[in-house]
Parts: sequence; structure tokens; C-alpha cells
Amino acid sequence: MNSFVIADPGLCIGCHTCEVACVSAHSADNMFLQQEENPDFYPRLRVMETDQVTAPVQCRQCEDAPCANVCPNGSITNIGSSISINQDTCIGCKTCMLVCPFGAIAMVPEFRGGQKQVQPGLRSNANGVWARKERLVASKCDLCEESGNGPACVQICPTHALQLVVPDDVSMDTAAKRAASAQTLQQFGGLIRF
Amino acid sequence: MPSSEPIIHIDSELCTGCRRCAAVCPVDAITGEPGEPQTVDAHRCVICGQCVQICTAYAPDHLEASDGLKAKRLQRGQLPSVREPLFAAYSTGQALEVKRALADSALFKVVQCAPAIRVSLAEEFGLPLGTLTPGKMAAALRRLKFDRIYDTNFGADVTIMEEGTELIGRVLSGERLPMFTSCCPAWVKHAETAAPELLDHLSSCKSPMQMVGALVKTYGAKQDGVDPAKIYSVAVMPCTCKEFECSREEMEVDGLREVDVVITTRELAHLIKDAGIDFVNLPDEPFDSPLGLYSGAGSIFGVTGGVMEAAIRTGYELVTHETIPNLQLDFVRGEEGLRTATVQLGELELKVAVVAGLKYVSAVLNQVKAGHCPYHFIEVMGCPEGCVSGGGQPKLLLETLRKTAYQARKSSVYRHDSHQQVRKSHENPAIIKLYKDFLGEPLGHVPHHLLHTTYQSREKNVSPISAGRKGGKL
Repeated sequence: MNSFVIADPGLCIGCHTCEVACVSAHSADNMFLQQEENPDFYPRLRVMETDQVTAPVQCRQCEDAPCANVCPNGSITNIGSSISINQDTCIGCKTCMLVCPFGAIAMVPEFRGGQKQVQPGLRSNANGVWARKERLVASKCDLCEESGNGPACVQICPTHALQLVVPDDVSMDTAAKRAASAQTLQQFGGLIRF
Repeated sequence: MPSSEPIIHIDSELCTGCRRCAAVCPVDAITGEPGEPQTVDAHRCVICGQCVQICTAYAPDHLEASDGLKAKRLQRGQLPSVREPLFAAYSTGQALEVKRALADSALFKVVQCAPAIRVSLAEEFGLPLGTLTPGKMAAALRRLKFDRIYDTNFGADVTIMEEGTELIGRVLSGERLPMFTSCCPAWVKHAETAAPELLDHLSSCKSPMQMVGALVKTYGAKQDGVDPAKIYSVAVMPCTCKEFECSREEMEVDGLREVDVVITTRELAHLIKDAGIDFVNLPDEPFDSPLGLYSGAGSIFGVTGGVMEAAIRTGYELVTHETIPNLQLDFVRGEEGLRTATVQLGELELKVAVVAGLKYVSAVLNQVKAGHCPYHFIEVMGCPEGCVSGGGQPKLLLETLRKTAYQARKSSVYRHDSHQQVRKSHENPAIIKLYKDFLGEPLGHVPHHLLHTTYQSREKNVSPISAGRKGGKL
């Protein structure tokens, strides 16, 4: 089973620190040092604000991941305990984005070495001017797998609204719930006769 | 540029109402409901900028697409070349103003940098936290076309001469004790707001920044043969409140503003990036003399306990006429909070206290009000660990970095001090020459005119009155 990060809307104060931590964890550079016109500032989780709640929403690392099942060229795979997007082979078709039930996938410009990447062949005409088109790829929460330190958002949240749910915890929790359920069945022991 | 506009703001379009700013505010100046945009009470606010440091709510996507971001940058006084995220809590900047002045060849542009800038500026260019770069900083300022690169550290040395003499005078006469330091403008504003009846206890010394400002347009102008009215005096500070301080009406010398404009560490970094200067590969260059030569004592003003340590190094020798046995005074060094110590100066037992973080000062103020405060000399710094943790310093995005960064900046300051040849203010040859050629005696007539100031009550519903005393011979 895959791990995933989930938020408690009751604790979230909408401060966006998780987004900032996410960008920071996935960027080799400090975000204050970027020279690009549009800096590489694309968090992989998003704080949603409604009239009632605020809560960050991110990938649930689905077991039967719809995004992976529809990806036309196998760029989405299950690696380790998370669903991973290979941005090198992603063609930006947006199918994963459409099928994701949580809206956890976004299309973002591809950056390498702090530079935005353009496509070698495709040109784009805007107001009569031809220009190279920038490469957009799918992006989503990867549980900070590369850093090895666990999700940065979970560590940083000032109100501990985020938690990493790991399969063992879920199994234990499920077992505990089943045990509790068995206890409540005891009083109905005689019902089996009817 | 004197201005009565507030300096600290919370953008109501961006604020999510998480109230972490309210939690760090030492004077409870931030009000609002959770989940609603917060507002800053300008009367209580001490402009320390800690709310600016902690805020992480930033401009959402839809503003990027529109011209909203551009308008916001302009409103905040940011250079158009700045590309970083816009956070809800911010301080209005003066970088645009300074850029315009730098292009004006009719002005004689003079700059001074606070002690805490040289240990943090490099962070804005990707170097490790706390990297010490006084030489690169001077080189960058020269590339930005400043005519003279001076140093607030020099002013810190002058402050020690004046404040140390003032302290010894007050202790010997038993007058107006305890004496509080007056270097931190956030603390001064807080004292004027929360304890106007105690303003007599503040040292009458201006802050090192204002002292350098006053000297630049008098002593410095004379040295360079420049008309003081042509001098444009810029200060680079780790502090968002220094802009407020330089615009105080008292901060004037012979009809001219002592410091014309203040920018923060972050704004200097913006200017350097804007000019396309490769900061990391700059050579080390010296500051200009005479107002750029400083002692180790001057450089430790940037950390909590630094003013105290510098004052004791000089005070010990002035009182005892003996060399101080140890220059590293660990008992005043430390972190956020209140520290106290007793120092033996010859026959005098000097009781001192160091307050780091304005929220710890009210206990001391209450003691003074009640008349049983045991200390002679109290250093107060508004920010948690002194100027290294100031509101104008490079923003630390993640809370986990904060302790590490403060530690790195602090040890860098102390390393700078320990590598100086001269480590006591009164032994700085430039200071000795300044007093010999220009100022005369500490607390004398000229210093009184240039380097001392008065304070005013800012109690609500009370018309401003002069509640301080001009410095003078004690």
C-alpha cells in the first residue's frame, strides 16, 4: 500500500507555509535567488480556501491510480510507496490531470538548472511573433522521496495539521477498529439464533 | 526621506488570518479574527518587522497573470526586477528612491552599513547562512556608485565613547539609574509609547546610525571638502524600524537630515542584483576612511549583548586605568530572553542586564517604575537575538532554519570581532583622531550638539512633549 499525506481542516490555519516548504524542498536554489521572469515556484500541494475551511490538498497516491492507468506513454508508475511522474517522458497531454479525482495534478513549466525549458520543435505564434514554446509537464506530490527526510510540508506545518499516513499505521488502526467492533458485537451474542 | 507613512503593512488581499504574526509581535500590535485579514495598530507597532519575517501567505496565481503583482511591487517600493514571491506582511522599501539617487551625479552619495549586514547579505546570493563578507559588501557598494563607503561600526565605537562616559558619570553621581541603551529604535519607540515616564533613564546617545549620519555631514564633509547639502546619506540596516528613526524630527544636523534614507539588507541585495553585479565573485575591498574604520567592539553591536560587551571593554579601562584581562565576555552573550551579571570595575560593582526580545522588557520596566530595579545598565534589543535577527534581514522561509541561521550569523559576528587587531572602541585610531581633531571630549559641546538627542512621550491622547534630556556634561 502507498503512503500519503492528508490534512486536518480543523487544524489548518491557511498560512501557506506547507506550499513554501514544498517549493523549498524541491528546489536546489533558494527561491529568493531566482532570476527568471517567472520563477520556479510551483508547490505540489495547494491550500484551498472556502467559506468554511482551509486545507491543503495533495496527491493521495491512489492504489489503482487513475492517472497511471490513463497515461498514454507509461510516464506514471508506482515507485517505492508513491505514485511517481517521470517528467522527462511526460508529453503534457493533461489526461492525468483530467482523471485525478482530487485535482492533485497540475501542469507546470519544466525547469532544469534554474532555467525554463523550451521545446526543440514546436513554435508558437502570439500576436504575429513566432517563439519557441515552453515545455509543460505534469507535477504532483512525490512525498519528498528524493530528500529521504519525509514530506517537508508535514515537518513544517506550525499547527501539525498535516500527517503522513504510512501503510503499517493504517493496518494497525484498522486492526484496532476491528477489535473495538468485535467488542460491541458481544452484547448481540444471542442474536445468531434468530 | 522623512515620512509619516506607516512602514509595516499586512496586505488584506493576501492575509489568510493564520495569526502567526500576532504570535511573534512583542507588543500585541496585530489585531484581527482568525481566518480574517489582520491589521497593524500603528500606534503600538514598534516596526521591528518580526511579522514580516514569519509571514508565509503569498500572492496567489491569479494575481501573477494580471498586472496585480506589478502594482503590488510598486506599492511596496520594490524594484521592478525583483522576482520573489510577495508575502502578506511586508515593509515598504526605499530601493527605488536609492536607485534614482545613485544615478544623480549632482549628489555626493555616502553609505553606511550596520554590523549585522556583513554576516547576512551573502545569504541573498546563495552562500551559506552567516557567511562573513565585509570586503565583498564594500566592493558591491562601490560598484553601485556610492562615493564613500562608511560603516555604522565606526558609529558604534563613537557610541561607546559617549554612552560609556555617560554611564560612568551617572553611576558615580547615582543619577537616573538604571541607564538603558538607546541604539535600538524599536525599543526607543516602545519606551516612548509604554513607559514615557521612564524616558529619563534612556541614554541620551543617538544610535550609531544617526551618529555616523551626523558625522558624515560635518566631519566627513570637511574631510572631503564637500558641501554638506550635496551629501545624500544612505544607511543599510538589518532593521525595518531604522527608516522610522531616520525620519524623526530630532535627527537633524544644522538643518539637514542626518540620514536621508534607510534600506534593509534585503533591499541592498535587490539593488545589487538589479545592477547585475556578480556578488559572489567580487574581490574584497576596504571601507573608506576615516568613517569606515572600526574596532571589534563596534562590530559586535549586531548581536544581543554586544553593546554591553563593547561598553564593558571600554568602561573597565576608563574606570580602572588598567587593561581588561579578558576581552571575551561570555556572561553577556546568549540568546533570546533576559540575562543579568555583575561586573567588578575596580571598586565599583556594576550590575548589568541584557534584554533580547522586546517581550521580555516589561518585567524590567515594572521594576524601574516600582523603584527597586537593581541594575545600573540595561541593554535592550527589540529583536529576538539582536540585529542579526532583524526584520530587514534575509527572510528565513522555514522555521526550522531560524535557530541555525541566527547561530551562524552570531558566530560570524564574534569571529569578525576576534580577528580585528583593535578590539576596544577607545583604542580605534580613527576614533582617537576624531575626538582630537573634531569632537573634543566625550559629552563635550560638539558631541552634545551632534551625537545626543531627546525623546518624546507617545502615550495615546497626550500631546507630544519633550520628555528626555539633552546630553551634556554630567
